[in-house]
Amino acid sequence: MTAKRLRIAAVIAISLIFILAWMFPILWSFLNSLKTDKDVLAYPPKVLFTPTLEAYRDVLFGSASILPNLVSSFIISIGTTVITMLLAVPAAYALARLRFPGKRFAGFYVLATQMLPPVGIIIPYFLVLRGIGWIDTYQGIILIYLSFSLPFAIWLLVSYFEDIPFEMEEAAYLDGASRLRTLWRIIIPQVRGGISVTVVFVFLNAWNEFLFAVVLSGNTVRPVTVAMYNFISVEQTLWTKLAAVSVLAMLPVILLGIFAQKHIVKGLTVGAVKGGGRR
Amino acid sequence: MNGRGHVRFEQIVKMHGNFKALKGVDFDIRPAEFFALLGPSGSGKSTTLRILAGLDAPTSGRVMIDGKDVTSADARDRDVAMVFQSYALYPHMTVFENIAFPLEMAKMAKADIAPAVQDAARKVKIEHLLERKPGQLSGGQQQRCALARAIVRRASLFLLDEPLSNLDAKLRLETRAELKKLQRSLGVTAVYVTHDQEEAMTLADRMAVFMAGEIEQIGTPAEVFTRPNSLDVAAFIGSPPMNLIPARLAGGNVIIAGQPLATTRADLSDRNVTVGIRPSALRIGPTGLPAKVDLVEDLGDSAVLDLDCAGTRVRARINHDDIPPENSSVFVTARPQDIHLFDPDTRKRI
Ligand SMILES: Nc1ncnc2c1ncn2[C@@H]1O[C@H](COP(=O)(O)OP(=O)(O)OP(=O)(O)O)[C@@H](O)[C@H]1O
Ligand SMILES: [Mg+2]
Repeated sequence: MTAKRLRIAAVIAISLIFILAWMFPILWSFLNSLKTDKDVLAYPPKVLFTPTLEAYRDVLFGSASILPNLVSSFIISIGTTVITMLLAVPAAYALARLRFPGKRFAGFYVLATQMLPPVGIIIPYFLVLRGIGWIDTYQGIILIYLSFSLPFAIWLLVSYFEDIPFEMEEAAYLDGASRLRTLWRIIIPQVRGGISVTVVFVFLNAWNEFLFAVVLSGNTVRPVTVAMYNFISVEQTLWTKLAAVSVLAMLPVILLGIFAQKHIVKGLTVGAVKGGGRR
Repeated sequence: MNGRGHVRFEQIVKMHGNFKALKGVDFDIRPAEFFALLGPSGSGKSTTLRILAGLDAPTSGRVMIDGKDVTSADARDRDVAMVFQSYALYPHMTVFENIAFPLEMAKMAKADIAPAVQDAARKVKIEHLLERKPGQLSGGQQQRCALARAIVRRASLFLLDEPLSNLDAKLRLETRAELKKLQRSLGVTAVYVTHDQEEAMTLADRMAVFMAGEIEQIGTPAEVFTRPNSLDVAAFIGSPPMNLIPARLAGGNVIIAGQPLATTRADLSDRNVTVGIRPSALRIGPTGLPAKVDLVEDLGDSAVLDLDCAGTRVRARINHDDIPPENSSVFVTARPQDIHLFDPDTRKRI
């Protein structure tokens, strides 16, 4: 009995350490975003202070408002996600069902693209986009994001589709459903979990992306991750504003995480069990 | 009976690459008949059923349903319903939605769907489960749900691929009887795939015995049981299986273990044969083949004896009353009409 209690206490203690380590940066940003410029530089750091929404007002409605950047981020992330899913769902379904030479290789290729260091390919991408005049445009950034998210999404979804027995489709077919109807009524509802997981990953990847955005964007299309960087300059770092923007940028991520939590956990574990059995 | 559901297979061949899964299959199924496709694993039963359903196309040959050539017709245009071995229930839909799905696809009016679903569910006794998802049903209930989905549309042809193989032994027996009643009351043609000879014997009006991509024999269960066409059919049908003993036919008698046993075939000249005798046709008597009782399996109402007939192993199924003790010596015999003769080379019945 005591041994069991001890074990539970140990588990709780270790979990707390991890949660604190994970919470610290978020807490730091959150607290600093509520401080004044003077409080933030105080040493030792102030734990008790009069909170103010000054920084938020500045970054949202001040002269250097990041609202347009948030809008840009949303357009890019939602655009990338919608186009990715529209293409990836049918593609993954086809891949799961078709037997063709080189299927294994295709899977490896997708993984390989995920392993490449982005810095290695950023220059050619820049040159291509400049060549077609798509630097600093939505379509330019979305196109580049698609080149990563699409293979990734297809690869993630294929294993979900492969899990649906072929007999299920044949049954639907004998029940009088066309191929499209079978896909829509029978197949897709069964991979909803996988689709949610994929949507979350694709959206978050696009939302959090910084490296490509900083090179391929400009003054017209500047996502919030890039705009945030402007608060750090050689002369000074505007800590409170940086913290406020960070919190604002984290908000959709956290909301999405909470909202899709059930699906993600289930989806990931299902995917994990299945991962070994990929054909 | 509605007279629909007449099926005809003409010289159906199915190749998988270089492998001939079906080597020219012919049969006729009459309307409202319960027709079983019986055979060992890999003999081509499922392949036949899938070609009949339109899920696979034959390499050559013709499939006719109700006089129409449907060889290249789409599965959806064939008016067939199928129960899969895995049931293939739609896991995200309730039982009601599962059963309603074929009606919905057939564009039946919403108001007519609910009563039709209720009716089908009542026939298979799952009307109290309509709101559940398939994952919340037992194996037997899932099987009934699959049945209901198949019968709700009133198709003229009802295909079943080993529908009972996932049920436990007791449930299988119950469902078997209900399945037969259901088919009778609906008056539909049923084509039933199984590798269980007992299932085929009890359910089928007629059956086709498949061996290695060919039909060895078609007939009523009684015909196939009493007059198997070949050694393979003889060995496959019946439990315990028929005793098959190499022997010499001489003057209308077969000589087993040095002892003659009379047959009905005095017309044949002397030759080597394989003798087939069902375990239940063997009797213990005062005369006949001398045998030693190696083992007694008491089944309660009867017993199966493992006998050693001068080196040949023979099994006999006998009445519970006269079980000889193990290791005793007995004489066994069989009536001439119970002795089947096969050609050991062609494996056909003589
Ligand atoms: N897609 C395929 N490719 C190659 N060979 C196949 C294919 N489908 C079936 N076969 C072969 O065709 C033969 C007949 O298969 P079928 O599924 O009809 O057997 P079955 O009689 O239903 O057996 P079981 O009782 O095991 O289900 C088997 O030898 C099988 O290996
Ligand atoms: Mg089969």
